[in-house]
Amino acid sequence: MNRMCRLCVLAGYSLLAASCLAGEPLSPAQVAEQIDRSLVAELGHPWQPAADETTMLRRVFLDLVGQPPTPDDILAYLADDDPARLEQTIERLLNDPAFGINWARYWRDVILMRKSKQRAFVVEPALEEFLSEAFNENRDWRRIASAFITAEGDVQLNGATAIIMAQGGKPEDTVAEISRIFCGVQIQCAQCHDHPTDRWTREQFHQLAAFFPRVAVRPGNRNGERTFVVHVTDREFRFRRRPPNNNRFRGTLEHRMPDLEHPEQPGKVMEPVFFVNAQSVPLGTLDAQRRESLARWLTGEENPWFARAFVNRMWSELIGHGFYEPVDDIGPEREAKAPKTLDLLARAFVDSGHDVKWLFRTIMATRTYRQRSRAPADGQDCSPAVMSPQRLRADQLLNSLNVALDTSIDELAVPQRRGFGRRLNSVRRLFRVQFEYDPSDPRHEIEGSISQALSMMNSNLATRLLRAAPGSPLAAILAANARDEDAIDEVYLRTLSRFPTAGDVRRSLAYIEQSSSRAEAYEDLQWALVNSTEFLFRR
Amino acid sequence: MSPTIDPSMIWDVCPRRRVVHRRRFLQVAGGTSLAVRSLGLAPTIAAGADQLRRQGKACILLWMQGGPSQFETWDPKPGHDNGGETKAISTDVPGIRIADNLPHLAKQASRLCVLRSLTSKEASHPRATFLMRTGYLPLASVKFPALGSHVAYHLGDRDFDLPVFVRIGRAGPASAKGGFLGVDYDPFVMTSATRKPDNTDAGIPAERYRRRVKLAESLESAFAEHGGGPLVGSHRKIYRKASQMVLSQRMTAFDVEQEPSSVRDQYGTGETASACLLARRLVEVGVPFVEISVGNWDTHADNFSLTKRLCEQIDRPVAALLEDLDQRGMLDRTLIVWAGEFGRTPRINGRGGRDHYPRAYSAVLAGCGVRGGQVIGATDAGGVDITEQPIPVPDFFRTIYRALGIDADHEYVSNIGRPITVADKGSAVESVFSG
Repeated sequence: MNRMCRLCVLAGYSLLAASCLAGEPLSPAQVAEQIDRSLVAELGHPWQPAADETTMLRRVFLDLVGQPPTPDDILAYLADDDPARLEQTIERLLNDPAFGINWARYWRDVILMRKSKQRAFVVEPALEEFLSEAFNENRDWRRIASAFITAEGDVQLNGATAIIMAQGGKPEDTVAEISRIFCGVQIQCAQCHDHPTDRWTREQFHQLAAFFPRVAVRPGNRNGERTFVVHVTDREFRFRRRPPNNNRFRGTLEHRMPDLEHPEQPGKVMEPVFFVNAQSVPLGTLDAQRRESLARWLTGEENPWFARAFVNRMWSELIGHGFYEPVDDIGPEREAKAPKTLDLLARAFVDSGHDVKWLFRTIMATRTYRQRSRAPADGQDCSPAVMSPQRLRADQLLNSLNVALDTSIDELAVPQRRGFGRRLNSVRRLFRVQFEYDPSDPRHEIEGSISQALSMMNSNLATRLLRAAPGSPLAAILAANARDEDAIDEVYLRTLSRFPTAGDVRRSLAYIEQSSSRAEAYEDLQWALVNSTEFLFRR
Repeated sequence: MSPTIDPSMIWDVCPRRRVVHRRRFLQVAGGTSLAVRSLGLAPTIAAGADQLRRQGKACILLWMQGGPSQFETWDPKPGHDNGGETKAISTDVPGIRIADNLPHLAKQASRLCVLRSLTSKEASHPRATFLMRTGYLPLASVKFPALGSHVAYHLGDRDFDLPVFVRIGRAGPASAKGGFLGVDYDPFVMTSATRKPDNTDAGIPAERYRRRVKLAESLESAFAEHGGGPLVGSHRKIYRKASQMVLSQRMTAFDVEQEPSSVRDQYGTGETASACLLARRLVEVGVPFVEISVGNWDTHADNFSLTKRLCEQIDRPVAALLEDLDQRGMLDRTLIVWAGEFGRTPRINGRGGRDHYPRAYSAVLAGCGVRGGQVIGATDAGGVDITEQPIPVPDFFRTIYRALGIDADHEYVSNIGRPITVADKGSAVESVFSG
């Protein structure tokens, strides 16, 4: 371990010491106040005025449960005169099973959007189940991360195998992902050479890989169905022949770092050492002990990047811009905006016992979260103090369509497919393929596409759902609301979770007047709102 | 999601949700302020066609996904152990011999410039693909645009109503998009050349469609004024482009069925044949960049029979494409690029396959000022090392940009504010043009 590295570890310890002195854990509201103050001190941004009540309600619904409020939810909220109604709503949503599902889907995308093996998609259902249960039970983030690091078994039964499965069990790729996802440190840049500007060396990267040589992903069979298994080997085995297509079906006892000058040589045997705190286990250690040690050190308090990475990522999700961007490339060489505020929040998160729901309560209690949103122009003046509109992830968008069109798209049948993983085929999956994006990418860099626009405008699905045919939800609105002002209100509430502005009403009425039939006019209005920018974003 | 309070308690008059008149309900329940202002929307895109755009140059990239074997295509080594069972055949250019898998293309050699000495260090699919698709190695901080995005940016007409970059077929991982050039230069992806692009049929009369699109734009103002301005602007760009396409008279270009059967017969049958024909039709109506993805060429096992079948897919269609472009007088302004992410190992592995080999591999250029009937670069008898004129990937890209008249040193300001040139440092291969 070099000197800089020691310094960094020491810094981590001193932060800890400071937090121990603080005594009683603070409430989310208290921490939120500290965060707001610290953020202003560091960045000096004035806040925007507080967001209005319907915007706020849609915001917390989409952020917590991944779907907008229904008109019923909105009206109930507006009629509620309890001053703590927002806190109560947040609490209710945190305890809704949809909370776990929403964030499970988010982390599914974090992990699987970077899969290097296409077949890793079979882990999806198990991964969603594992994570939604974990988030709904409010399992602490340390425990969740450790489960991913130490996972083994059938990937369709144990969702925590997802990171290993996504990388085909390759030790280098697996540890690179574990470091990226849980520490935000992109140590894989050091895989081939010492990076000129980064502190971690090639040797340290391969020492990290040395925690995983005994792990491999191999094909398996469960009840006659093909599956994959994260398999562990703790004894010597000689390959009779190499498995096809560069697959690695069985681990090796130790990890070797290839010799760059002589790639044909087996390379140097590496001792498992964790790069952040230089703790190691000796060669020959059993797999379970290796990976448990790594999990303990990586998620432990001597690794300040573990808490910072999570807190920074969640801040970026909820505010629109993290202290570090991209959220998965942080670390001692990167510069944070408002680093003291990030540390304050990370420390409080550690004190909470890595409590995930606590973090949501806290960030959502800040003035920063509750202000009006404002999209930065061309990625300019992005700041962790500015609330930005967030592009909906594919699942949030599909849920919004369900609410807007009063339907359940998930229940629609899809054409049958053949082959491996056919049972995973669903409308939601097809929809995702069109609208998904990698949630680790800076949000302002993610843009729509012409084919997304075309499918929203003209796909069979959209056309079918928007029709005001007898028996359809749109026809019911028209039947129930003879006055156009009322019908327009209804369409707006369902689609954008707000009432139309006076301008919206005027334009809509003018359009209805010019149309050849009322049904056609409302189909077009519904179409226009579903295809609006606002529908695609969480304000 | 259901609220904790029972909604029916509030509006006992109308238990069914849809029957409630929301605003009236609120007036009863206490009301909410609905402050409203109205404001015009963002300006339109500046139009402009410089000299380069008027030249009507275009590029068709034939992308061999997975890493095609140079031994079974452009650089056969019959008689050497590394050559395997593949034979060499003579072409219409004396002295140039290519693999017997490509008999139709052998008759087009006078139009082809075969490069046998491409070289890189990247042997993993994603990194090598990224390199051969963008001309740059991946960097976490910079979103490098794809070759097609650069070409579309420099050659595409801003007012053109079809996409300026069309990608046909399944693109592999790390295929790259518009990157820091933005959504305008993302590829428009078609999974099949035999079907009209997905969702381009509005299903309603054009007149109603136009009104509907106008309505949608007019209803954006609330969000545009309240914090969503730049997002609305970028959304509007995409939607304009998409609706232009739906309404465009040129959409018939996507229909290869409209081609006379005499022409279609030339291209043969199969997906690649349709894709090549579609590429010609698109270039003909003004699309500056079309990419056709063929593969998988990742022949770790059973290389010889797999590569033979893949060659059958491309041989006749690509030969017909060259012939067709030439007959229509389009070849001198249309560059054809044949390439994959790397080549394959000289050594044949235990499963009759070849593995990844970036040290020496082949690519082909034709048209647009490229002098055909020549081979540039050479490998040794076993195809292990380059013996003549190595061509690093940046040089290959500079050669492509030279052919298209695009200044490879043109600087963009990238997403991180750092200036990035069209191509990485290097120099164009002069002999491609002069000989």
